[in-house]
Amino acid sequence: MTETAGSGVSQFAELASDERIAATAEALERNGIRALVVENGEQARSSVRSLLEDGAEVFNNTSRTLEQTGIAEDIEGSGRYRPLRLRLYQMDREMQGHEMRMLSAAPDYVVGSVHALTEEGSLLVASASGSQLGPLVSGAEHVILVIGAQKIVPDIATGLRRIYEYSFPLEDERARLAYGVPSGVNNVLIVNRVLTPGRVTAIVVRERLGF
Amino acid sequence: MTMFDYDARPVTPQLLLIGTRSSAGAYDIRDFLTRNGRPYEWVDVEDLEEGTRLPQGIEIEARLLPICVLPDGTKLAPATLEQVAAGLGMVSAPSQAEYDLAIVGAGPAGLASAVYATSEGLSTVVVEAVAPGGQAGTTSMIENYLGFPNGISGNELATRAATQATHFGAEILLARRSVRVSPDRAGYTTELSDGTLVSSRTLIFASGVEWRRLEVPGIEDLLGAGVYYGAGPSEALGCRGSHVVVVGGGNSAGQAAVRFSKYAQNVTLLVRGGQLSSSMSRYLVDQISSASNIEVRTGSEVTGLDGDGELCGVVVSSREGGVKDLLPADSLFICIGGTPRTEGASNAGLQTDDGGYLLTGDDVLTHAGRPGAWPLERQPLPLETNLPGVFAAGDVRHGSIKRCAAAIGEGAMAVALVHHRLAEDADD
Repeated sequence: MTETAGSGVSQFAELASDERIAATAEALERNGIRALVVENGEQARSSVRSLLEDGAEVFNNTSRTLEQTGIAEDIEGSGRYRPLRLRLYQMDREMQGHEMRMLSAAPDYVVGSVHALTEEGSLLVASASGSQLGPLVSGAEHVILVIGAQKIVPDIATGLRRIYEYSFPLEDERARLAYGVPSGVNNVLIVNRVLTPGRVTAIVVRERLGF
Repeated sequence: MTMFDYDARPVTPQLLLIGTRSSAGAYDIRDFLTRNGRPYEWVDVEDLEEGTRLPQGIEIEARLLPICVLPDGTKLAPATLEQVAAGLGMVSAPSQAEYDLAIVGAGPAGLASAVYATSEGLSTVVVEAVAPGGQAGTTSMIENYLGFPNGISGNELATRAATQATHFGAEILLARRSVRVSPDRAGYTTELSDGTLVSSRTLIFASGVEWRRLEVPGIEDLLGAGVYYGAGPSEALGCRGSHVVVVGGGNSAGQAAVRFSKYAQNVTLLVRGGQLSSSMSRYLVDQISSASNIEVRTGSEVTGLDGDGELCGVVVSSREGGVKDLLPADSLFICIGGTPRTEGASNAGLQTDDGGYLLTGDDVLTHAGRPGAWPLERQPLPLETNLPGVFAAGDVRHGSIKRCAAAIGEGAMAVALVHHRLAEDADD
């Protein structure tokens, strides 16, 4: 596992060139995904702030990118939004399971990242529990994805390889430290095209963010 | 591990609270945070193994407990509820010099009044001592509330209602009690426990009831240290594997018993009456009957407590006399009856019945021994107290039906009467 991850680091941690980023942004737009290209995490944070409506219910997916950029802190701690993670966390799992499922399924906004973005404009997201995928596909009214440009890959096959060989080992290590349990590539979402105009925004950052 | 353990925990630092389970001050803070939906991490120092290092290098000194570390790193030691609420930015000043309507209490009646008043354009402020929801807000699952076939928890109902009220423009002032009401030029001034003054043209008392006190020797010493008034929503997880006793025969007691049965080793429900079905909804009686770890003792009452600094047993006596039993108990939740919360009402001269419930409408004129207290030529409006423009809604009102839906109905109705009063005021 470690060897596999090590062999993939140089390839999958490398920022895409400006030309590849521009081409990928165009491909995203062709696929119905609004694309914004920014220089760094701070600009990404400002973009997210400008996209989120005050008072909205916002679910921030588990994401190193959101933690690194301060976006998770804005969502959970600024008081501008209604952060769903905080609400779900304090609910009684034995008595309020139904309410928790309903709440987490359809937030106003879901903010997260992806594990790979192809030059053809496809998004790849892996999830251990799968709970983050439903809102991304259709449950959330708006989706905002913050994507470090090192996640750009030529095609879906390479994107899947990035998930298994690069993202998973790092996420597994994080999950073991944070939760004491292993992660798993149990669910993989591939978004090739979005039919609802303006629903999904991808913010591509010219900076290495997350994994 | 469920999807929620994995995907729904906050990823940024939350409030850290360190204390002992036997600390009433720590319980007050846990209760406040839980009922206001603020996540926190609780560290019981009595459960810590020797040599355990606390987060952020915190050293424990008994005299400084409970210790609270706010998300921004500020350390409060010993922490008080007021400090925690202020530190979390939950204590705000009224934004206006005068409101059309002030509402005392953010339970179902008060929140309904706030939603209807603000949606109809009245500038509205709500004063709440603890958290939105009132007693109903601590209810684990209301299964007979109209429109929610899967049931809705009191906390969720309160959260939605408070969100709705603020969406329409209501201000909710938390963590302060109303202590005094007095007439002023515009209408009435409500003084809060921190000295804040709120001026409004009209006023609705929707302050509800508090649990009736249990008259048992030594109970005051164990409050928050195993003995709790109400359903204690913050304590459910902490009851895992323990012995829980719930006192009361109403729906609140039944809901508490069902909730704690999900976590506790066993739950004993003590009921004064001869049978549960005479005071509790059928669906709850059925749930209690089917729970293998709930024992119901009818015709029983608590006559003593065993514990030194922390509860360890409850003395239960048969109401017919003769039989006494000592039940091992880690927690005792008292959900009996209620006494009206009318602090601030008596000094204003609001009339009450012998039980302290506020008189309204025709009762103002007809209740025994209090003629001539009404100052206007017209009759009092149906929910109007003996002070024109001051209304009462929900459980605090004499003659009210003690149900969540009824309180919401009264809250909505009171707003219609507020409009009547404001129009009358404008005509003067």
